Amino acid sequence: MTTPAPPPGYRQTRLIDPFEIHVGPVFEKGEGQARHYAFRVQAHHVNLGGRLHGGMLMTFADLTLGQAVWDATGNAPCVTLNMQTQFLNAAREGDLVEVQPAITRQGRSLIFARGDFSVAGEVIFMASSVWKLLGQN
Amino acid sequence: MTECPAGLPEGAEPAPSGGFNQFIGPFYRLPDQEGGAVRRFCFVAEEKHMNAAGSVHGGMLMSFLDVAMSRSTRLATDAQRLSTVALTTDFVGPGRLGEVIEARVRVTRRTRTIVFLSAELVAAERILVTATGLWKIPAAP
Repeated sequence: MTTPAPPPGYRQTRLIDPFEIHVGPVFEKGEGQARHYAFRVQAHHVNLGGRLHGGMLMTFADLTLGQAVWDATGNAPCVTLNMQTQFLNAAREGDLVEVQPAITRQGRSLIFARGDFSVAGEVIFMASSVWKLLGQN
Repeated sequence: MTECPAGLPEGAEPAPSGGFNQFIGPFYRLPDQEGGAVRRFCFVAEEKHMNAAGSVHGGMLMSFLDVAMSRSTRLATDAQRLSTVALTTDFVGPGRLGEVIEARVRVTRRTRTIVFLSAELVAAERILVTATGLWKIPAAP
């Protein structure tokens, strides 16, 4: 299993969760809340039909939307309460999946984050999520 | 065919595997309940499934839902090609290292090309996740 090189303009994201390290690497470009993220679909990300597994997309969504929540809160401890995902089209090995996560609303204890995930400019997957800041009522 | 490790629920059998399923698995199928209305699957939470806070990663739980609900759609319809259209997941409580995490999946309705499902993930009778989803199947010829 070879590790893909960062796509042009991207650098490797530092991951700390064992599951994210297991399915990664993930790449990013830009700074702070304007960051874009990407991963390259590898052979171990696809199902038996050769299409990108929905679980990998949802994991990438959890990772990137969670990173956006961290950026917005100064790395406050938080958990995913809810995630809604929609699969618009398939991706295949070699495709680069990209997203720029967005914070839709930031309340005192709840944060809403979403993202459109695209391959070569076409949206293939959408995710919207609700996060709870721990210790905030 | 791999053997089932000790400690799995009675009747566990290795689920068909390959690609991403094999990379993040193994997964097991458990005997149906309620006369086939509830299809069950499980995996054992390993270090590779965790987040840095010591809980099973949400991405792993959603991946397991996708595996269990896709497999249930296939078992309910015999469809060979199917795809996840939408999945909504509520994270009710955390899963822990070493726990057997079980999926219980029901088909709510099946139309000619769409299957509606609901599922919950359970560990030691605690609900970790509730979910609903839509799967697309090819129209019968």
